[in-house]
Amino acid sequence: MARWKIYTPEGVRDILFNECYRKKELESRIRELFRRCGYSEVESPTLEFFDVFHEENLTPQEIMFKTIDQQGRILVLRPDLTIPVARIAATKCRDAALPLKFFYIGNSYNFSESGGGRLKEFTQAGIEIMGVNTAQADAEVIAMAINAVKASGLEEFQIFVGQVDFFKGLMEDSGLSRDDMEMLKVLIESKDYVGIEELFKGYNIKKDLKELVLNYYNFSGTPDEEIVRFEKIAKNERSKNALMNLRKVLEILDDYNMKKYVSVDLGILQSMNYYTGIVFRGLTHGVGFPILSGGRYDNLVKSFGRNLPATGFALGINMVLTALERKSEAFVGQDDATLVSYGSHGRKIAFMICEELKKQGLTVEIDITGYLPDKLEEYAKKRGIAGIVYVWDEDNIELCDMTNGSRRKTSFGELLKK
Amino acid sequence: MRYLTIALAKGRLEKEAIEMFDVIGISCSEAFSQSRKLIITDEKNKVKFILAKPADVPTYVEYGAADIGIVGKDTLMEEGRNLYEVLNLGFARCKMVVAGSPSLIGKLDSLNNKRVATKYPRIAREYFENKKRESIEVIKLNGSVELAPLTGLSEVIVDLVESGRTLKENGLVVLETIAEISARLVVNRVSMKMQNERINKIVDGIREYLRQKEAKEQEG
Repeated sequence: MARWKIYTPEGVRDILFNECYRKKELESRIRELFRRCGYSEVESPTLEFFDVFHEENLTPQEIMFKTIDQQGRILVLRPDLTIPVARIAATKCRDAALPLKFFYIGNSYNFSESGGGRLKEFTQAGIEIMGVNTAQADAEVIAMAINAVKASGLEEFQIFVGQVDFFKGLMEDSGLSRDDMEMLKVLIESKDYVGIEELFKGYNIKKDLKELVLNYYNFSGTPDEEIVRFEKIAKNERSKNALMNLRKVLEILDDYNMKKYVSVDLGILQSMNYYTGIVFRGLTHGVGFPILSGGRYDNLVKSFGRNLPATGFALGINMVLTALERKSEAFVGQDDATLVSYGSHGRKIAFMICEELKKQGLTVEIDITGYLPDKLEEYAKKRGIAGIVYVWDEDNIELCDMTNGSRRKTSFGELLKK
Repeated sequence: MRYLTIALAKGRLEKEAIEMFDVIGISCSEAFSQSRKLIITDEKNKVKFILAKPADVPTYVEYGAADIGIVGKDTLMEEGRNLYEVLNLGFARCKMVVAGSPSLIGKLDSLNNKRVATKYPRIAREYFENKKRESIEVIKLNGSVELAPLTGLSEVIVDLVESGRTLKENGLVVLETIAEISARLVVNRVSMKMQNERINKIVDGIREYLRQKEAKEQEG
């Protein structure tokens, strides 16, 4: 017996009816936004070679769904959409004017994600700018991220911006071993102060550096205060430049009038091997995980054979929908439908009525069940249909209001006036 | 104002955690002692307390169902969740150790096939595989782990040791220490930022409480 036939695997699910409508509607709103800002849509295949993602240890192999092609090569379901776009930029758009501005909306697959609104199959919408390395581009990406969240209807959210070069600079002076640097990165990411103190015990760490690392978490100040605070202690050239870059990006965002959505967190280090400059995450109430993340990754496209600096972000559509649901945001759903039923002499006129009502913007269904009125009304009630139009023949049309069950005669002309 | 939700681990840590919140002015002791309710609300401070099984506290906090959690480091290590570990609360101190028969002292590394009985399979695996770079066979048990080496089910155990009495009475000794354990304050990653002001206030309050407690202990 096919035992699993009636189930879906863990971490994937059906999306039905209104929820599906809301998801697609959100996607189209975001698509419209990206298009209007001059980004071109791309669709990459769901299946790619394992090498695309695994080279340079970009993606841990444990998180990828794998399969084998006829030649015995390993394929994966794409765990991310940025890396395929980098492949496209490096191999397909050699003659295009720079910067390249791409956007995508599609599904990614990640083995390790599950629970709390995280699924193994999830939809991401994002943009990538390739070919420029300017603070303007970094700020544009953050502004696009903010606009995308706003387009979804969420108002209460914060974008936390960091700069990974700041930490990389600090580490140059620290005297920590490579392994310990990795460890420290993880500890700062998880705000594990207990662990950081432990780690430092074995080293003769300068007091100001220690102070700096332990103070990473205190992001209660305004962005400007935060930068000033770190500027005072950062001695290293690389760290100083990182702060200057961060300051510039924030200035630009101020002119976008978006500063209220932005905070500074120099402790965002998670994907440091991938990101090379500005990094950011978007958070909102009601979901325990980021709804978006992004940043600058100047070395990625190079690994596909073309040296292009790049920056971008991706929004988790499922996460945003969860946040909207928790906030009980009223979505614009489908209008209550009208059902048109006809007798044997009314079919042609019924089809005309249908077309006319649709032109007026109503949702109209033609009855295909052949039920008699009693049964049809029972069915309409279950379906939540607002009204039924019975077309017996050209001069004999009845209107049934399902909200109160009342019925009255009407005519073709009267029906189309409204 | 939104409610801030604090998840407390039932059992070992419960009493001290409740006492601590009482001292810093967030009250839940009366309500919990008088009823079997699992959620208690402090309307004045807009704080909700939930009482959960220790192993579930990191889950509540990671998913954002609770903003803050009080839980032992052993649970955090075993669950391996993504959250912010902000404070070492110092109470419920003990050790995570490898223990076994005294005949194994100094010979642990030369055992070829190691069978490790434990309630903490993840911690055991992490320690032997990542730190010591050895393969082991983990045997998951649910309690009275000391029985395993006595009955020949395993060579060694990985377990929490508080006073060491149970080990001693069963003729076992600590072979290696994996980690020092105590209660920790953990915070959801999103809450830490979205509710920063309120959470920092609580964290500062607890820091002050810990400082005074330490001072008192030194006097006494």
